[in-house]
Amino acid sequence: MTSPTPPPSQGPSSLPDDAAQATQDALGAEHAALWVYGLVSAFLPADYGNALQEGSNAHRARRDATELLLSGAGQSPRSAEAAYVLPQEVADEPSALAVLVVVETDVTVAWRAVLERTDDKTLRAAALGGLTDAAVRATRWRRAAGQTPATPPLPGTPG
Amino acid sequence: MAALVPVVAACTEEPSAPPPPDPLAELAAKARADAALATAIATAQPALATAATEIATARTEHATALQAEVDRERPPVSSSSTRPPATPDVPADGVAALVDALTTAEKQAADLVASVPRYRAGLLGSVAAGCASLRVVLT
Repeated sequence: MTSPTPPPSQGPSSLPDDAAQATQDALGAEHAALWVYGLVSAFLPADYGNALQEGSNAHRARRDATELLLSGAGQSPRSAEAAYVLPQEVADEPSALAVLVVVETDVTVAWRAVLERTDDKTLRAAALGGLTDAAVRATRWRRAAGQTPATPPLPGTPG
Repeated sequence: MAALVPVVAACTEEPSAPPPPDPLAELAAKARADAALATAIATAQPALATAATEIATARTEHATALQAEVDRERPPVSSSSTRPPATPDVPADGVAALVDALTTAEKQAADLVASVPRYRAGLLGSVAAGCASLRVVLT
């Protein structure tokens, strides 16, 4: 079959501009996170393999679901960039962990912004899931890096 | 003769029912209780002191943010509306008690996300994500 039928979307059939923009930004954050997970794996010892795989899988699933939700709402989902500017050079285990913390934190901020810009229950549920999952992974990476506190009290709060 | 007393009109002036309690007030109280529990555990169980102290600090911040939103929406008539919770008994299994408390708190916040105004949805999302993350601190 050359033209698969998309699964019926449970999401909104349209989105106001501010909700659509925030969701596109969250999709962009998921793309960036996937890219970073691919990049850092070369700098982390094998015992992080499971955590990296789990994170990659989660971001890929979230990316796919977000693309589907946007398409269902009549929006054209934002594509991934070819490369992303890193907040710092990744050269070893500490810098790899630091960048993972940054990118997961970016994802929490992006999904909280969606929560504040939509009344749609399906989109809010997706945003809550994206925010919570990224906050939990950020906490694990902070612990691996020995950072304290391991979590901000209110993950996703910008600033 | 004096005017007739308008009995019927009086009947229509029923006192308006008090507004229902703000659901966030319950979450703020829960956050204060969790902070008190975590503080008690941190004191009694030194092995858990670091994790329990982080939980106490974060849940105190949740309580402050939630109470601020409650008070913003409906300014309190008295400034002493938030009593500190009584010092809780320290449970034998501190980790299990804190995991339970955080799981309940996450669910309370997450369950309200769908139905509240937008600003509150963001705040409650962060509270829920914070509680989920604090469980990781105990592992």
